[in-house]
Amino acid sequence: MSHPSEQISAFLDGELHGSELDQLLSHLGACGKCSAELEDIQRVRAAVRSLPTLDLPPGIVPEADPVVVPLRRNKGLWAGVAAAVVVAVVAVASLLTPQPGSLTIEELNSHFAARSTLDPAFGPAKVVVPPFGSE
Amino acid sequence: MESIPLTWEEVARVYGRKIYNFAYRLTGNPDDAHDLVQEVLLRVRRGLADYQPGSFEGWLWRITRNAFLDDVRRQKRRPTTPLPDEVDRWGVASSESADAEYARVSLGDDIQKALLELPIDFREAVVLCDVAGLSYEEIARAVAVPIGTVRSRIHRGRKMLKELLS
Repeated sequence: MSHPSEQISAFLDGELHGSELDQLLSHLGACGKCSAELEDIQRVRAAVRSLPTLDLPPGIVPEADPVVVPLRRNKGLWAGVAAAVVVAVVAVASLLTPQPGSLTIEELNSHFAARSTLDPAFGPAKVVVPPFGSE
Repeated sequence: MESIPLTWEEVARVYGRKIYNFAYRLTGNPDDAHDLVQEVLLRVRRGLADYQPGSFEGWLWRITRNAFLDDVRRQKRRPTTPLPDEVDRWGVASSESADAEYARVSLGDDIQKALLELPIDFREAVVLCDVAGLSYEEIARAVAVPIGTVRSRIHRGRKMLKELLS
């Protein structure tokens, strides 16, 4: 008589099905040796399964790597924003600030005339621009 | 559709305790189990990006047992027996009497020592089945052997345990 020993554990674990299960059950009914082995294996299986479940010790999970911030990218972004702000400020300031080179002769004369009126000692009352090639 | 943990932190939270218990029963040593869990979680972290949907637990247990075998190969050492002062970490229910608790821990000690006497293949199969609670099919996938081999290893491992505990 062959003894389906290895099927005993599979039976206990619910891993035996169909004809294999039927054959084992009929064999166990007729074989004292295998019935005794079934009891032994059942006890061992229960003993291992009764081992206490251990708690996970604290600190066992490894620390995450430091978050890597893409500094270059962010720096470039902020540098771009800062540059745009500077350009905008300069542009607005240049529009609002009087530019000497942009004054006309008539405006200068007007300033000088006003100053000469208030302060007679102030220089010439009128700027004369010599024509080209007069020198 | 399989639902898988999205981050390695979630893997640690959901599976960490199970992996630790598997590792402890295989190594019999809390320090080795600690190191093994960390190694597994690091491998999970590196591998998650490339994980292909399938059996997540099968993938995880494959990583776990490979990490264990790598450790065994690297250190070429025999597992040590659990330290007596580790019994207070075993989470024994507080409602049990001191005697029952002592008996339970002592029995656990004997079983643990017997487990460590098993050849690695048998120990691994028994622990995956009876401690981690995997099915034969899951064990076969994790260990990359036919189901018939799993069945044989589990039964032979249990028979050896019976002899060792007699």
